[in-house]
Amino acid sequence: MRLCVAALAALVVACNGGLGPAPAPTSCPKNFTGICGTVKIRGAIPDSTDVVYLVAYHTFPQSRGDLFNFVPFPPPTVSLVDTTYFYTLPLPNGRYEWVLAVWKKQGPMLTIGNADSLLREAGYYKRSDADTSRFGAGIVVVNSIGTDSIDFVVDFTNMHPVSFYFPAVTVRR
Amino acid sequence: MSRRCLLLCALFPAGLQAQATGIVYGAVRDTTGHGVRAASVSITGSRLRTNTGSTGAYRLEAVPAGPITLQAAALGFQPESSAVNVTPNDSTRVDFTLRAVQNLAPIVVTAGKRQQSLQDVVTSVALMTDSAIARRAVNSIDEAVDRAPGVQFLNGQANIRGSTGYVQGLGSRVLLLVDGVPANQGDRGGINWDLLPADAVERVEVVKGAGSALYGSAALGGVVNLITRDVPDDAHARVRVIGGGFAGPPHDVWKFRDYTGIEGGVDVTASWGRDPFRGAVAAGTRHSDGYRQQDQRDHWQVAGKGQYRLDPVTRLDVSGAWASDQYEVPLSWCLRGRCDDRGQAYQPFMVDTSGLGDHTRSDKGYLTAVVSRDPSPTVSWLARASWLRTDFTDFQRAGNDFGKANRFGGELRGVIRSDPRQVVTVGGEVAFSDVTSDIFGVHTQAEYAAYGEGEHRLGAARLTTGARIDFLAVDGGGLTAVVSPRLGAVLAAGRGVWRASLGRGFRAPSLAERFVSTFVSGIRVIPDPSLRPEEAWTAEVGHARGFADDRVRVDAALFWTEARRLIEPVFIDTLAQIQFQNLARARLAGLDLSLSAASLMPRLSATFAYTFLYARELAHDTTPTRPLPFRPRHLLTLDADYALGAASVGAAFRYSSRFERVELYETDPRVAAKVVDLHAGWTRGPLAAHLLVSNALNYIYTLVPRTLAPVRKVTVAVTWTY
Repeated sequence: MRLCVAALAALVVACNGGLGPAPAPTSCPKNFTGICGTVKIRGAIPDSTDVVYLVAYHTFPQSRGDLFNFVPFPPPTVSLVDTTYFYTLPLPNGRYEWVLAVWKKQGPMLTIGNADSLLREAGYYKRSDADTSRFGAGIVVVNSIGTDSIDFVVDFTNMHPVSFYFPAVTVRR
Repeated sequence: MSRRCLLLCALFPAGLQAQATGIVYGAVRDTTGHGVRAASVSITGSRLRTNTGSTGAYRLEAVPAGPITLQAAALGFQPESSAVNVTPNDSTRVDFTLRAVQNLAPIVVTAGKRQQSLQDVVTSVALMTDSAIARRAVNSIDEAVDRAPGVQFLNGQANIRGSTGYVQGLGSRVLLLVDGVPANQGDRGGINWDLLPADAVERVEVVKGAGSALYGSAALGGVVNLITRDVPDDAHARVRVIGGGFAGPPHDVWKFRDYTGIEGGVDVTASWGRDPFRGAVAAGTRHSDGYRQQDQRDHWQVAGKGQYRLDPVTRLDVSGAWASDQYEVPLSWCLRGRCDDRGQAYQPFMVDTSGLGDHTRSDKGYLTAVVSRDPSPTVSWLARASWLRTDFTDFQRAGNDFGKANRFGGELRGVIRSDPRQVVTVGGEVAFSDVTSDIFGVHTQAEYAAYGEGEHRLGAARLTTGARIDFLAVDGGGLTAVVSPRLGAVLAAGRGVWRASLGRGFRAPSLAERFVSTFVSGIRVIPDPSLRPEEAWTAEVGHARGFADDRVRVDAALFWTEARRLIEPVFIDTLAQIQFQNLARARLAGLDLSLSAASLMPRLSATFAYTFLYARELAHDTTPTRPLPFRPRHLLTLDADYALGAASVGAAFRYSSRFERVELYETDPRVAAKVVDLHAGWTRGPLAAHLLVSNALNYIYTLVPRTLAPVRKVTVAVTWTY
C-alpha cells in the first residue's frame, strides 16, 4: 500500500508543469530569437479589414515577385482591439531591411494577381511620416536573441498598395 | 457383383479387405463450446488429416476400417487424442474439446496474412484485446489504439515508431485494415477512426515496421488491423450506454463556458447464429459538447455482419458499416487579440473569432464480401471485394469545400502448406480510387499488385522470404512499378525467441497530395502531379523471453528505418505557394521495449512499454541534421490492474517527451505529455460497468500546434449482454 501511495505521489509530482496562463508579453521572451516592439494604431480601422500581418524582408523587394520572400511563415497578426499592441516576431538570424505591417482586405483568396487590391503597406519600422516612400533606415539585425524596441506605427489613414512600390521600381535609399 | 469383380475378389481377397473404409466426422470445440477454426484432425500413423472450418466442424473420408487413434490439435490448445473403431461403409462421430494452453503466445493474423503464433512472427506486433478496450471505457477506436506500445496519435494521425508525424490528415504512413481489408481513404489516404463503433472491435493488431511486402502502399510505417467480433451461436444482444463529462479549464483566466461539457452515447447490437447462417447488426449514436469552444460533435452509425456457410469448407462473409458525423471545427486556439484574450498571449480553450461557425459534415462507409475456402488440409484460399466511400463538406466563412471519394478493392489469396515445414502465401490485389472535390479536382488512381511470401522451418529456425510488386497508374496514365521485398527469421532458443527482419515499405502519394489546390492562411497550395512514391527500408532485431514460469514476458526490439523521397509540404518563397514535394531523406532508429507481468503478485498485473526514437532528416543523403518534426524522443506507457473478484481497479500513465521540432509555429509553447488515466470495473451476470477518468490530473498540453489535447474526462460505460 505504501508503495502504491509513493508511486501515486511521484506521478502527481511528475505530471506538474503543463501549459499555464501566459500574460501578454511586454518584452521579448527568454530564449526567443527575433524582434519585439510596440505597434501603435493610428486612424480608424477600415470596415473591410480582414487582418494585419507582421512580416520582415532580408532585402527590400525589388519586384512584385519578391513581395512573397518574407519571413516568418505563417506571419503573425496584429491585434486591433487596443491602440497599442506589443508584438513578437520570430525571425531567423540575419539582417532585415524591411519590417512592416501589411493590411489585408476581406475578400477572395490572395494571389499575386489580386495582391494590389487586397494588400496595403500599413506602416514599417522607421517610416518617416514626412516621406512614406522612403525606407532603408530601419535595418534590424537578429543574432540568436530577442531584439526589443522595434516600435512603429500602423497608420490606417496612410496605407500604400503594391502599385505604390511596383511597378514604380525606383529604389530610393 | 459383376463377373469381373468376383474374379478380382478371388484373386486379391486381402487387397479388397484393405480398401474397406468409413467416414469420421465431428467438431472441435474449446471449453466454452465455441468451435475451433483451423484445428488439425489427423490419424496417428497415417497421412490422413484435415482442418476444421470456422465452426470447428471436420470430416475425414476414406478412413481405413478398424481401430485408429484420432488426434486434434490447434494453435493455443493442448492436443487431444481419441481411440475409435471405424466401421466399414459407415460414419462415426468423434467430437473433441480442447483446453487452451496457459501462457502460450497469442495467435495473430495480420503479420503474415494468415494465422500464426505471435512468437513465429518476424516483426514486432502489439495487441489490444477486447478486455483491454472495455476496461478503458473508450468511445472510439483511436482512443483504444493510442495506448498501444510504440503508437502515438497526433490529432487522429497514427504514428508507429514515429512514422507519420503530423501532416494535417493528408496521407498516412500507417495502413488501416478492417478484418484484413484496407480502409484508408481513397482521396486523402488518411484514416477515419470512427468508421466502426469501438464496441464492435474484438481485437486490434498493430504490426510495426514496413509491411509493404504483403500490404503495399501506406504500410510504410506499419499496419493496424481492427478485428471485429465473431458472431456467436444462438441469439444475443448487447447494449452499451456511455456517459460522462469534461473538466473545465484549471485556470479561471481560461474559462470559456458556464456549464459542464458532457458526452454520451448508446450502442445496440443484436446477433443470431446457427449454421449455415449467422448475422449481427449494430446501431449507435453519441453526442459530445467537447472540451473547448466550438467543439461539439454528433455521431450516428450502423454496422452489420453476416456469415453464410456454403458447404463444410466454404464460407461467405459480408460486412459493412456507415457512419455520419457533424462536428464543429476548433482549428487552432486563439492568440492575443483574436478573441476575448483577457490579457493573455493565447487562450487554449477558445478559437480565433475568424473561425467561429465553421463546421464539417462527414459521411463514410464500407462494404466487404469475402469468400474463404479450405478445400484440403494443404490449401486454403480467399477472394474478397470491398468498397470504401468517404464524403465530406467543410462549411466555412471563406467558402465551403467538399470531397467525395471511393475506393474499390479486390484480392485473391491462397495459403499452401505443401509440407509441415513450409507455408507459402500468394495473392493478387487490385484497388481503384476516385475523387470529386473542389480542392482535389476529379481524378482516379489504379493499383495492381501481386505478392508472395514463404516460410520454411529449418530446425529451430523459421526463415521467411517474400516480395510484392505494385503497379500504380494515375488518371489512366503510365504505370509506376514499386517492388517491396522482405526477409525475416525467427529462432527459438530456450525460453526465448529471436527475430530479425529486413523489409521495404512505400507509400503512393494520395490523390489529395498530388492535386490539392486551395488556400491555407491566405497562401495558395498548388498541385504536383509528378509526385513519386516515398520509400523506406526497415531493419529490426528483436528478442522475446519469458521469466518466472512465463508470468513475466519481456520483448525488446532495435529498429532502423532509412526513408527517402518523403512527401512533405514545402513553402516556395519565390512564389508564396505551398506544394507537396518528394523532399526529405530521413532516419528513424530506436528501441522498443515492453514488459508484461501477469499474476506476478496475487491479482496484480502490469505492463510497461518504452520507445526510444531517434528521428532525423538527412542532409546530402547521409548526414543527420535537424530532427524530424512531431516525433518524441521518448514514449513511455505504464499500466497496472488489480482484480478483486468481480471488481477491478487500474491506472495507466503515458509520457511523450517534448517534440524537439514542430513545423510552422516553432516558438509556440510546448511541453512533454504526461497523462494519467484511472479506471475501475465491475461485472455481475449480464451487467458490466466501467469507470474511466482520463487525464485524471487535468494536465494541459498540446501535441499539434495551437491545438489543445484532451483535458480530464470522467466516463461511465454500462454494458448489458444477453
